Amino acid sequence: MSGARAADLLERELPAAVRRRESGFGEVTVWIDRADLVQVSTLLRDHPDAAYTTPVFVTAVDWPDREPVEPRFDVVYALRSLQYNDVCRLIVQVTEDDPNVPSLELVFAGMDWHERECFDLLGIGFTGHHDLKRILLPTDWDGHPLRKDYASFGEPIAFTHNLEWALPAQERPRDMPGGSR
Amino acid sequence: MTALPPRGSPTAPLDPLSEQYEAGRELLGVEPGLDAVDLVQIGENTMELNMGPMHPSTHGVLRLVLNLDGEVVRECRPDIGYLHTGFEKDFERHTYQQCIPYTDRMDYLSPLFNNLGFSLAVERLLGIEVPLRGQYLRVIMCELCRLASHLLWYGTSALDLGATTAFVYAWRDREKLLDINELVSGVRMHTSFIRVGGLLADVPDPFYEMVGAVIKTFPKLIDEHELLITKNPIWRQRTVGLGVLSPEDAMAYGATGPVLRGSGVPYDLRKAHPYSSYDHFDFDVPIGRTGDVYDRYLVRMQEMRESLKIITQAFENLPDGPVNTTDRRVALPPRNELNTSMESLIHHFKLVTEGMRVPAGQVYEAIESPRGELGFYLVSDGTNRPYRCKVRAPSFSNLSALPHMVRGELIADVVAVIGSIDIVLGDVDR
Repeated sequence: MSGARAADLLERELPAAVRRRESGFGEVTVWIDRADLVQVSTLLRDHPDAAYTTPVFVTAVDWPDREPVEPRFDVVYALRSLQYNDVCRLIVQVTEDDPNVPSLELVFAGMDWHERECFDLLGIGFTGHHDLKRILLPTDWDGHPLRKDYASFGEPIAFTHNLEWALPAQERPRDMPGGSR
Repeated sequence: MTALPPRGSPTAPLDPLSEQYEAGRELLGVEPGLDAVDLVQIGENTMELNMGPMHPSTHGVLRLVLNLDGEVVRECRPDIGYLHTGFEKDFERHTYQQCIPYTDRMDYLSPLFNNLGFSLAVERLLGIEVPLRGQYLRVIMCELCRLASHLLWYGTSALDLGATTAFVYAWRDREKLLDINELVSGVRMHTSFIRVGGLLADVPDPFYEMVGAVIKTFPKLIDEHELLITKNPIWRQRTVGLGVLSPEDAMAYGATGPVLRGSGVPYDLRKAHPYSSYDHFDFDVPIGRTGDVYDRYLVRMQEMRESLKIITQAFENLPDGPVNTTDRRVALPPRNELNTSMESLIHHFKLVTEGMRVPAGQVYEAIESPRGELGFYLVSDGTNRPYRCKVRAPSFSNLSALPHMVRGELIADVVAVIGSIDIVLGDVDR
């Protein structure tokens, strides 16, 4: 079971940090608090039983509908241990109002660009990052495209049933059937 | 004067001065013990040089802002994103099979690996396994693709350093591999040959003859390539000891593939997490010793021979049988059933129009592409489209180690180091 090594180690060494543990499709996911993130990842990197020395990626998943009950964003970290041949997955949940997590670039040099990409495309802030700016999109770009509420899919096309949504008032035909629907 | 901070790198960031600078150090009267960056920071006349994005040896549209002191690179700031296409967003509004052509276009030099990684991730969520013949054909096509990709890298990175002949020879051989792509899928590059649940179709008859010819001729052709370059004194002078990446730094930067193995770390996902029945084949994982440009070159050349070994074994033991899964959540019902069964007809219609429904969950599936660990982190919410698909691109992480590798090197050598990382900007930017 991929990631079980990290989850077991965290439950043993830092039981307070593990908020939830789930397994599925042969992979174990551990949910942690963002306050524990740096400590947890440093432990996973340095502990001789873990040796998760290689950053795989960091990204986020946007669940806008669950905001009042659960935080909106899952910030997902994947770390690889070459020594024990394992990948572990950590998830930190952050809210829409405060989408910030501590930066891990001082723990893993390779997290630098991955964090910038996550900031660029999803608007997650990484506090403590030395140069947090857009990496893939132009610097003057508006919004964060991989958020679910980012309207990106073409122009609205006017049909009779959606004229009010698709067209500004002055462009709507006056006497079109169904125009007021 | 302090050295530039290595930021998370567990070892000292810099190598000792190169020989050319021993003289310079004496000339400037620098105290012994200072390293290369200290020396170049002492110089007052630094300049910013813009390299790319339209530059023949950046292998696409990579822009580097180089801070130079004379000819020495003091700092290198890569600027990427010129080829960003938003494929991850596109995935979210397409059905799973419709995503496959998008994956082709990310790492456009190894499209089959992208197809395979995505398909494996979806197949794991669905819990289906492709029949053995399908798996073997996937392996053969992928390894042919690895050969083609490495040949292109060999040709272009040699061309960067002025070896025009190698480029022409590499192109000659790569054509034979693209012909096989054309035969099985109809197109030479964006094949979309590997689909969720199997392959586009079984291979046609001329395939056996063409792959047989590759197996027979390529060992000699690779010898030819090596004869041109490997012991060439100019090549060695340009590459040995250049762009050194220590194993610890390679791991800290998340470098994978030949860049990691060139640094002496024997990690290959085909061995570590065998997928698509790679565990049936006997092959070695070549590694380098010092982690310089020359080692990465040797690793890739040796990998081409190992790929040939895998192709030979898979080709000789290619089993008969179907290539596609018969799981009806993915596979279309057979044609003759449609004439008699209403349910099959409806199912056929729904699969074609709506696509397959994939159980909710999240998986991370990583495969060994020619450039390293190509991963697909796939989150499904149970509908017919991916909820989120993060592509872990190998070139992205490998390129992020470039500033570390070229710091303190000469500007002419930056080109050699970029060539040795084997970046594909479609993969970096996605």
